[in-house]
Amino acid sequence: MSNLYIELTNFTEWLLGLVAALLDWTKLGFLSDFGDWLQTAPVVDFVSTLLVAVIFLITAMMFGLCFIWQERKTLGRFMDRRGTQVGFLGFFQNFADGIKVILKEHIVPKDSDHLLFELAIFAYLASTFMLFGCIPYSDNFYVIDVDLAVLLGIAIFAFGPFSILIGGWSSNNKFTLIGGMRAAAQLIALEIPLLLCIVSVAVLTGDLSFVGVVTWQEENIWLIVPLCIGALTFFIAAIGESERIPFDLPEAEAELVEGWATEYGDVRWGLQMASDYFRAYILCGLFTMLFLGGWAGPEFIWAEAWYLSKTFIVFFFFIWVRAATVRIRTDQILKLGWRRLLPLAVVNLLIAVALKVAGVF
Amino acid sequence: MRIEERRYTKADHFRATGYVLKTMKVTFKGAIRATKNRPCTILYPWEKLLYPDNFRGRPGIVLERCIGCARCAKECPNQCIEMVTIELPDKGKVKRPQVNLGRCMMCGNCAEACPTNAMIVTPEFELCSYSRGGLIFDPVKLQHPHKAGYEVNYSFALLSEMNAGGEIKTYAKNDNSVHDTIVLDGAKCISCSRCAKTCPTGAIEMVETGEVNPKTKKPIKQPKFDNTKCVVCEQCVDVCPKSALSVKEVL
Repeated sequence: MSNLYIELTNFTEWLLGLVAALLDWTKLGFLSDFGDWLQTAPVVDFVSTLLVAVIFLITAMMFGLCFIWQERKTLGRFMDRRGTQVGFLGFFQNFADGIKVILKEHIVPKDSDHLLFELAIFAYLASTFMLFGCIPYSDNFYVIDVDLAVLLGIAIFAFGPFSILIGGWSSNNKFTLIGGMRAAAQLIALEIPLLLCIVSVAVLTGDLSFVGVVTWQEENIWLIVPLCIGALTFFIAAIGESERIPFDLPEAEAELVEGWATEYGDVRWGLQMASDYFRAYILCGLFTMLFLGGWAGPEFIWAEAWYLSKTFIVFFFFIWVRAATVRIRTDQILKLGWRRLLPLAVVNLLIAVALKVAGVF
Repeated sequence: MRIEERRYTKADHFRATGYVLKTMKVTFKGAIRATKNRPCTILYPWEKLLYPDNFRGRPGIVLERCIGCARCAKECPNQCIEMVTIELPDKGKVKRPQVNLGRCMMCGNCAEACPTNAMIVTPEFELCSYSRGGLIFDPVKLQHPHKAGYEVNYSFALLSEMNAGGEIKTYAKNDNSVHDTIVLDGAKCISCSRCAKTCPTGAIEMVETGEVNPKTKKPIKQPKFDNTKCVVCEQCVDVCPKSALSVKEVL
């Protein structure tokens, strides 16, 4: 149990006790019974879990918004201009955009598959929000820490291309269909090197929970040193997985209007756009956790701050790559994924196995 | 920035430097420069670029100098200048230029054509308006405080002097000693004296020729031009009912 859970359980007990006392004060028999039921262990557990989930959703979304702000400002400097200027250092641009998309009209194309069209975007968003729960901030601040947390996160992540394809197909529009197809092809091509890199991490650490991986790195060495090839492969594959600029074929603004999300309007489009950044945030978090030692660091600031600052630095490299490189074609992406990254990931796996067999770690 | 001409071969596909690392180096240098100093963009409404001294913004007018010759209106390539009647305290009802800035392309030809340098170019360029009517500047609104350098001057040489091979003199704009002249075809003139009434500078005077009209037994008057006063606005040529006047260019 993390400290967060313990403190929130205490808070929930106090809160529900307060509610029960209020109900008791009414001197009505059935309400007093209801108050007694509120104080039982399952209800307290449920409410405290709900509170943890809400806190995690809000914090993760705020950091996702920080990523959008960071990208705007950093990309501005890369392009020799200032980024957005709304509010304090341009931070309120996100909120202005959010208000704008919320006020937009809800449009469903006439010939689209209505049910799938409405559901696909929610599948995409739900998988993104579920990923927030998989990423711990420190060994005291997390939602779940199951034994196979890394595998669970990647499994949820792999749900993304599926919903993208469904959304692109159900919009009944050639641009969205092409965008969905490209997304599926690209994400599958880049997901396999990504998974092989994670396998090498699991081989070395002998653990698939984030807390275990980070603890191993605290005791031994940051994995970016022995597995530098794997880290590079993971980094490139992560850029492709988050559909960012060198590999932004699913959302090719120059060719496909807005890619698979062309037909989505209003707040669904806003959340889809934001969830691209949430996914980038999650991939940066994964990179930090697997290769940069997670929240490990000198203890003059909190562990969570170490984790977040490392994540922001990784995202700076994402932005740098975006500013420096040109977009590449579909066949080049697939060639890169299957013919360059996959052999590199296999080589990296061999190195990990060799290190384990030789007994270095 | 230099653009290098380079051919990519198949071997370049295996080389990361050309595609990725070199561009990353270049962009990172740019980012460091923009962070250390400042980006090349400016925060426009709060900061403004320094405009050069000879910047040509919207046209302006110094009403005290204007004689209403309408040369600006004739010269304007976009035909955005129109002569409108206004009431001035000392001169009464006169015609002065009104500029439609929605059409104006800030070429400054009006200021170049102005014989009295009443039309000037001003450094003003922020001309936003909520309506098109707000962009039509009447003579009073068009006024702008004069500053040396706002007027547009030029100098010219005569083609005849160049062909003669002798000394080539340069003449300033509005040099009264050398400019186009108005020529009268006396046979067509009907002595209506409209040209004298139209002339904004009073350069035309109706003088008796010495002949007498055989029908009315009155002396015939014909216009006489004072070339030191004339600004060649050609209003007399336009107003002449019998096309008796024409312009003779100085060459």
